[in-house]
Amino acid sequence: MPKTRQAISSMGIHAILFSYMVLALWPIFLTIINSFKTRKAIFRDPMGLPGLDTFSLKGFNKVLLRSDFELYFMNSITVTVATLVLVLLLGAMAAWALSEYKFKGNKWLGLYLAIGIMIPIRLGSVSLLQLIVNMNLANTLTALVLVYIAQSLPLAIFILSEFMQQIPNDLKEAARCDGVSEYTIFFKVILPLTRPAIATVGVFTLVPVWNDLWFPLILAPSNETQTITLGVQQFIGQYVTDWNAVLASLTLAIVPILIIYILLSRHLIRGITAGAVK
Amino acid sequence: MSDIQLKNIDKAFGKVKVLHDVNMSVTDGEFVVFVGPSGCGKSTLLRVIAGLEQVTAGEIFIDDEQVNDVQPRERGIAMVFQSYALYPHMTVYKNMSFGLKLKRHNKQEIDQRVRKAAETLQLTDYLDRRPAELSGGQRQRVAIGRAIVRHPKVFLFDEPLSNLDAALRVQTRIEIAKLHKKLDATIVYVTHDQVEAMTLADKIVVLNDGRVEQVGAPLELYNSPANIFVAGFIGSPKMNFLKGTVSSIKGDTVEIRLPDDKIMSFEHDTPANEKDTATIGIRPEHLLLAEAGDGLLKAEVDVVERLGDVSYLYCALSDGTPIIASAPGTSLAKTGDTIRLTARTEKIHVFGPDGNAWK
Amino acid sequence: MSAVGGRFKRFPHHMVVFLAPATIIYTLFMVYPLLDSIRLSLYTTDGTGAFHFAGLTNYIAIMTDPLWAGPFWNALKNNFIFFTMHMLVQNPIGIMLAALLSLPKLAGRTTYRTLIFMPTMLSVVIIGFIWQLILSPLWGVSETLLDHIGLVDLFQPWLGQEATALVTLSLISVWQFVGIPMMLIYAAMLNIPEDLTEGAIIDGANHWEIFWHIKLPLILPTIAMVSILTFVANFNAFDLIYSVKGALAGPDFSTDIMGTFFYRTFFGFQLQLGNPTMGATVATMMFGVILVGVLFYLFVLQRKLRRYAL
Repeated sequence: MPKTRQAISSMGIHAILFSYMVLALWPIFLTIINSFKTRKAIFRDPMGLPGLDTFSLKGFNKVLLRSDFELYFMNSITVTVATLVLVLLLGAMAAWALSEYKFKGNKWLGLYLAIGIMIPIRLGSVSLLQLIVNMNLANTLTALVLVYIAQSLPLAIFILSEFMQQIPNDLKEAARCDGVSEYTIFFKVILPLTRPAIATVGVFTLVPVWNDLWFPLILAPSNETQTITLGVQQFIGQYVTDWNAVLASLTLAIVPILIIYILLSRHLIRGITAGAVK
Repeated sequence: MSDIQLKNIDKAFGKVKVLHDVNMSVTDGEFVVFVGPSGCGKSTLLRVIAGLEQVTAGEIFIDDEQVNDVQPRERGIAMVFQSYALYPHMTVYKNMSFGLKLKRHNKQEIDQRVRKAAETLQLTDYLDRRPAELSGGQRQRVAIGRAIVRHPKVFLFDEPLSNLDAALRVQTRIEIAKLHKKLDATIVYVTHDQVEAMTLADKIVVLNDGRVEQVGAPLELYNSPANIFVAGFIGSPKMNFLKGTVSSIKGDTVEIRLPDDKIMSFEHDTPANEKDTATIGIRPEHLLLAEAGDGLLKAEVDVVERLGDVSYLYCALSDGTPIIASAPGTSLAKTGDTIRLTARTEKIHVFGPDGNAWK
Repeated sequence: MSAVGGRFKRFPHHMVVFLAPATIIYTLFMVYPLLDSIRLSLYTTDGTGAFHFAGLTNYIAIMTDPLWAGPFWNALKNNFIFFTMHMLVQNPIGIMLAALLSLPKLAGRTTYRTLIFMPTMLSVVIIGFIWQLILSPLWGVSETLLDHIGLVDLFQPWLGQEATALVTLSLISVWQFVGIPMMLIYAAMLNIPEDLTEGAIIDGANHWEIFWHIKLPLILPTIAMVSILTFVANFNAFDLIYSVKGALAGPDFSTDIMGTFFYRTFFGFQLQLGNPTMGATVATMMFGVILVGVLFYLFVLQRKLRRYAL
């Protein structure tokens, strides 16, 4: 291709990608910079960076004072980490059993567990709430964890069992010939080998759980058990005219996810691109 | 059909230079094969001719027209890929007619060309099938058919037989040879298999590390290799190489001392100095079993491979240099035997210290 | 030696140990509630908490009773509009971005990809609020921007107007989730072998023809998968509307979708008392719609698109 024509189309491509990237980032950027400005500055010059005379932490102070932000944050972490660990463990165990052992009904069980990928768990909320109340788990983080585990297992099991099927048979046979118990094989041989897939499953589980509004709202809305998503939503609902506070709370909610994302983006993208190869 | 000229082609990927000053030409109707080990640059050279890669320096001419800046589709070439590159969602018919449809040929002409090519390649029954429903050999033929219908000036083949099994490879090789005659086509063909090169080519270009080692007709390369690389690459089993030193020079005659102190003398013109290293090359098929006492080389047999009509004796000289000799199938040689080998003088190649052949 | 049940002298309890916890939790907290909700939808309740079997009364009420049918059909219609907006805007943009990102020799590809995907990671709640602020006439940010490009007259408080609120919310949702189709289609495009593109170049195709004739057909299965994922997600959506517009999904229910309708029916809101059996009915209707979509995908689309598999 003649060099100039190539350069022009290359510029065009970059122009489109760059514009969209700006469109994607700009609202987030706007929120963060304005959360550090005085109220006047927010309105007078929304798109300017906080300067020496416009810098203000007023919003953050109010958020941390007037709400139990640290509590909500800890709740989110507790729920997310507990869910993650249990989904990985239970999911890997089930995936292993499904992919390795040939028993009657293996295929049906697999299908049964996979249906959950397509059918949203929220639809059963009426009965779910009843169940949680009956189990005396209303307004507990435990309820959230149990529900989130049920929500995340189908996809986790699907991804993990596809991955485990690729483990070469020789490894398993060799371990069995050594007379080792099935549990040892699973924990000492198989589980370490699935580490790449576990990263993928981790990210797919973590994000929906952390960001969920529905179940904290329905099952655990009390102040002690609010997650950060619910906390932000309630806080903003309450302080809707206080722009500093609103922007600050949004920023506080964004930053943890941003950090996690930047650290894990490679894994996440690899996971999505690998999974889509099906 | 057309000719191609390559002048001073250099190609670098970033800092890595892959082709060094390649010069060669293809005449109208010729079947030229680029051959060489993996990584020698033969595929790159082919892609440069196709226009899929740009040269870093040098000029490419097709039909006396410089095509460096011309896009592949305007160069009048068609390419057959190693992996066939068939469009999986299109039928065989659509695969073959795709290029023509893009050029907006009329429907009738397209149909005619496709059916004619299908007939030549015995694909008529498969026109409505998709690539996934075809065998490897059939897919290969579709790939060739796709090239034929475009009536290109030059056909480019990139290791087309590599993905086929051994039997199919031989069969398809013959079909390609027949196709060449039938279409009177100009073909540039890349392979790492020297048997394919020897059997198909009118002219072989041997490449090594991005450089042209030798260009010539198959038998020319076999009988008069220009250097050690070509000598060792062409011919199977590989040519035997014995390292020696020039022991004396007397006028036109040079004497070379071999490791077991045998002396061989040759007439030659290339200037040489005493103490230069020289390499003697003899092909296994040119080594003859000599009568005891006679003979150039004394060797001990390690392994005997019997193929039926011929046996290969893998031997070692007294200093450990491996030697392969071919013997008739009826030979009674066995492991542990000591044999004496000789060869006719005109079949013995001598290579100087720089690896180039001496006349 | 494979662990088939019959081979072992003892019962292979390791298999049960491996499978039981996941299956139990899944069944107890996902399958059972869903089935029980469907069961509940066949009952009515009065204020005392007693349940009376009512057959399909609830369903008939939802679809025809003036008290329920209005909001129900409105929510259903809105949900379809929501979905249509996603299909019309999200998928083409996703395809375009994926096509550009998968071009060979693109500088900064990883950076673009990582940064464009960022909004997808954030909570819908956060996104909703941010856009609410940006589009707010009080702040004036969007008004100022439109002024810069001379389109200030176009500005309206879109989120507050009945006619435009749903579409605006749909676009916000699209803005956030474009990353997912983009990634999935990008992965699918990477899967297309390089020499197919080269073969097409030699056959004489330009970039647009390569995209249209070669790449697009081969990613159709992925596009179908993205579509069904979008369908399920859209008919399950709730968070965005709730956090921007509250449970009443105003103005005047113009942004009410199945998720918010379900929430209000089941939980009650302001003047409306919660009604678990009607809530269960709404949920079952949602389930039905989603199920139809999923079955269509599995049994019709997937079969038709098999020929595009690589």
